[in-house]
Amino acid sequence: MKRRVVITACSAITPIGYGKKNIVDSLQQGRSGVKPLRDDGLLTGHIHSRVFGTVDYPIAYEFTRSQRKTMGPVAYYACQVARDVLAESGLSPDFISSGRLGVAFGSTHGSPTVQREIYKTFFQNLETEFSSIGAVDYLRSMVHTTAVNITRMFGITGRVIASSTACTTSSQAIGFGYEMVKYGMQDAMLCGGADEYDTTTVAVFDNLLACSVGYNDRPECTPRPFDKKRDGLVVGEGGGAVLLEEYEAARKRGATILAEVIGFACNNNGGDLILPNLQGITATLRLALTDAGINAEEVDYICAHATATKMGDIIESQAIEAVYGTGPHVTGLKSYTGHTMGTCGVIELIMTLYMMADGFLAPTLNLEEVDPRCGMVRHTPGVIAAKTKIASVQNFAFGGVNTCLLVKNGREAL
Amino acid sequence: MTRDDLQEKILTILVQDFEFQQPGLDDNLRDDHGFDSIDAIELLGKIERILGVPLTREEKEKAMEIRTINDILDYLEAIQQGRAQ
Repeated sequence: MKRRVVITACSAITPIGYGKKNIVDSLQQGRSGVKPLRDDGLLTGHIHSRVFGTVDYPIAYEFTRSQRKTMGPVAYYACQVARDVLAESGLSPDFISSGRLGVAFGSTHGSPTVQREIYKTFFQNLETEFSSIGAVDYLRSMVHTTAVNITRMFGITGRVIASSTACTTSSQAIGFGYEMVKYGMQDAMLCGGADEYDTTTVAVFDNLLACSVGYNDRPECTPRPFDKKRDGLVVGEGGGAVLLEEYEAARKRGATILAEVIGFACNNNGGDLILPNLQGITATLRLALTDAGINAEEVDYICAHATATKMGDIIESQAIEAVYGTGPHVTGLKSYTGHTMGTCGVIELIMTLYMMADGFLAPTLNLEEVDPRCGMVRHTPGVIAAKTKIASVQNFAFGGVNTCLLVKNGREAL
Repeated sequence: MTRDDLQEKILTILVQDFEFQQPGLDDNLRDDHGFDSIDAIELLGKIERILGVPLTREEKEKAMEIRTINDILDYLEAIQQGRAQ
């Protein structure tokens, strides 16, 4: 059984805005969401990179205490975008709880904010007499906290996939959700990812010399994917969700079809856990084309992973050139948001859907002088009008995990 | 602490931390206020602080029989009396 899979609703909370209008405005106006790193009273003073892709606007959460009690900050993002998506979809409550809707959702490592409080209890304020660790701390911090807080809040009873593969967390979630629907295991999947504000992640990449440090006084000027003066990634936060549905059922109920997922690939480099791997990445891009049954010439937009690390951007450019030549426009959308870690795949997919719907492409922000080693692809030259038919959304993670999603414009999918 | 003292502290916790709306002493905690086993564990941590003593495993398991606020107060008084002896 192979069925067509379409995206019928989406929502994202990002450093450049919440909701389509704000995000599109930021993309069209070249507005960065990178801000100074907030002081966390613990690690900030030891970190060289003082920038962060920050969600610094108020969000009107309306969760009851019963819902909130098992949620860390990461689950707030997750449940908010999941709520938006279910409301936008118009799916009936009967279907949502029928067991035919599943959830594929993840985060890099649950809620580090809650985990930090647990460790503080152990190492700083140990109260041996009393139960200092809350009953719900595990539920708030565990690695699948986003997925199961969503099922709990909305009474979803289908399958749960809680991917947690760093930067490919949410692209894997969408890919695995696509396969669930494509092969008939579920009729719909709510997919995505979230990651909260966390200096631990910044410290990890900072230690590896992978973070941007040269623009601490000008946060909006970094990251700079493909630029000659790029100096590393910028960690960010946010959440995003998409609803995947079987095509015929979606059409029958009159759902708005935003896009069709036509291909997905996921592989591993089979070796080093950190270094980008040209062979592995190139294979991923080709596997996705094979899964979609299309030629490379049919893809007209590449949403690149493009973290702005020295080697990562070069290797990705080489892979794009090898598979696509100079055909499709290429943009590194992390230049607007920073690297939102586990949620980057879904956020970048949603930004791509918005650009498809509104007929434009945004350029890579801060790309002022293309590094010649990244110059062999067709960089999007500015905000341009474009009727994108098929886009490739590419993500690569620590651990050597690579993903590629191919999506077709909803207007083309009908 | 007297029963009235305990009642005041428990009601304050239930309203402020557990967001109970107009709690009655004989309300069913689960049916009337959605208070579940996770909440019960959370409340026991707060009770340890009220009493100033850690609860034993047996005492905590005994708390799972609680159904109303009056049951909580009975439970607290029993623990106080047990410790006093």
